[in-house]
Amino acid sequence: MKREHPLKLALALAAGLLFLSPALYSIVLSFQTADSYYRGGFDFTLGNYRNAVGFYHFARYLLNSVIVSSLVTLLSIGFSTMAAFAFARFRFRGGDFLFGAVVATLMIPSHISLIPNYLTLAKAGLLDSYAGLVLPAISNGFAAFFLRQYIRGIPKALDEAAYMDGATPLKVLWRVIVPLARPAILSMALYVFITEWNNYIWPLVAIGKEDLYTLQIGLARLYHNNPGEGLIDWPLVMAASTLTLLPVLAGFLLVERHLVRGITMGAVK
Amino acid sequence: MSGISLRNIRKSYPGGPQVLHGISLDIEPGEFIVIVGPSGCGKSTLLRLIAGLEACEEGDIIIGGKRANDLAPQDRDIAMIFQNYALYPHMSVRENIAFGLELRGMKKAERHARAEAVAKTLQLEAYLDRKPGALSGGQRQRVAMGRAMARSSSTFLMDEPLSNLDNALRVAMRTEIKELHRQLGATIIYVTHDQTEALSLADRIAVLKDGHLLQFDTPSAIYDRPANRFVAGFLGTPPMNFLAGDQLPDMPGAAGNIVGLRPEALRASFTREAGASLPAKIVLSEMVGADMILHCETPAGRVTAMAPRRDFTAGQEQVWLGYDAAQALFFEAGTGARI
Repeated sequence: MKREHPLKLALALAAGLLFLSPALYSIVLSFQTADSYYRGGFDFTLGNYRNAVGFYHFARYLLNSVIVSSLVTLLSIGFSTMAAFAFARFRFRGGDFLFGAVVATLMIPSHISLIPNYLTLAKAGLLDSYAGLVLPAISNGFAAFFLRQYIRGIPKALDEAAYMDGATPLKVLWRVIVPLARPAILSMALYVFITEWNNYIWPLVAIGKEDLYTLQIGLARLYHNNPGEGLIDWPLVMAASTLTLLPVLAGFLLVERHLVRGITMGAVK
Repeated sequence: MSGISLRNIRKSYPGGPQVLHGISLDIEPGEFIVIVGPSGCGKSTLLRLIAGLEACEEGDIIIGGKRANDLAPQDRDIAMIFQNYALYPHMSVRENIAFGLELRGMKKAERHARAEAVAKTLQLEAYLDRKPGALSGGQRQRVAMGRAMARSSSTFLMDEPLSNLDNALRVAMRTEIKELHRQLGATIIYVTHDQTEALSLADRIAVLKDGHLLQFDTPSAIYDRPANRFVAGFLGTPPMNFLAGDQLPDMPGAAGNIVGLRPEALRASFTREAGASLPAKIVLSEMVGADMILHCETPAGRVTAMAPRRDFTAGQEQVWLGYDAAQALFFEAGTGARI
């Protein structure tokens, strides 16, 4: 393996630490009592985590966020992959127009659809439900566009070979395209998951019941729980933030090795 | 085994010119047919139409006595070997070979046993657990053949399967394909632009040019009695010489026509022999094993001749090229059709 120059290494390390410093600082802060934080000392405690999970129901919020983000990721990636396959591989009447429409949705700011979505779901009686949180997010034009471009890069001869082997279009998608597009699908899934995990506005609009709060809503509400007049309990907020951060970090580490693997090598000469 | 009949097949792509102009062919069960022609002549398109990967606008594709135009590729009982092999890169060799069987519902143990048997035939046993990326070009080509063989289809379509291999491997694989055809007895339709492959493999050759079928006959018939000047020039290495008949002495019936003489039909000698001959100056010579290819200037134009290397003395430029009228072919100067 090539040895890097020590100066380059030191610079990279310094840059890494710089980027990590806010996260590290919040983690350190989360183990401190509010008193010691405002006094200027450091008293170690796990109480902030106990409070966040026990008193402020962060375990419930975490569960809600996991359910909502996972469902959105699964459904939107599922639909986007199928749409991408159709746009990439089949010529059908109106196909170009439909693809244009999908791309056009990327230009609509998400906040514009907030009120129409709210009214639609209110009429359907889906506000204050998981369905209300999940449904508006499962059509993802960007994912369809991104995956379509990736699938177009997979040699069409592989589809044709599978058809000759006796595959139906769905089999071709599932057995040939999906495994080969795995790096793109996983990247997009991670992106969708993180976007949904960090989504604040829509859950705020669509959810009134505390049982259905997601982490972001719960986190925002913590600002109102002051240890003293005019003061915010920052160590508690940081403990809750750390709880919010960890699943995404774990998800990234889990998926990361798949993201970098070039899998189509050797497909065709 | 099933025969294939093509009736007046026409095909064009949207916004493009017509690719195939009314192709009709009758292929007997078990025949080895080679479709040959220059790049862009429509031979691969014709193969894809038979496979069902594309649809024709007009004409009938009849497989095993049944019209197959509307059948999906998977319902035609046809296996195909692609030019770039199209192996599934995420599957092992075993899975690649067995994939078609899996799709037909064969149990895992059974299909793997079949894949191993096929791999044994193709000497791929040692590579069964490897992915295509870890194989050489020749091994990938074998896997592609194995994938087609595993399904025991009655018809194999091969789209320039040897074009990505080096010369030595190509010659070896050619023999193997011929041997395989003998063993399986299946109908094979093989597309190539390599006339040597066509002549050495085929029971019958279909020569295509610009989407038209020029001739469909046995290799020897096509070589000895080409339908026109294009076919005569396309098959044979070095290609046939075409000379203006008026310029050739002692060639009855040649006046006003084009005379075709294969290089091996010309006898190069340093002394003028009895009978018809042309004085020639060697401008370039190529050694091809036991023979030399001589490129000569003659009063009738540029001519290529073959001569045994042992008869050829380096440094001598002036030769006589003898020929027999009986070995010459005559083509109409305008249409190029053989007279």
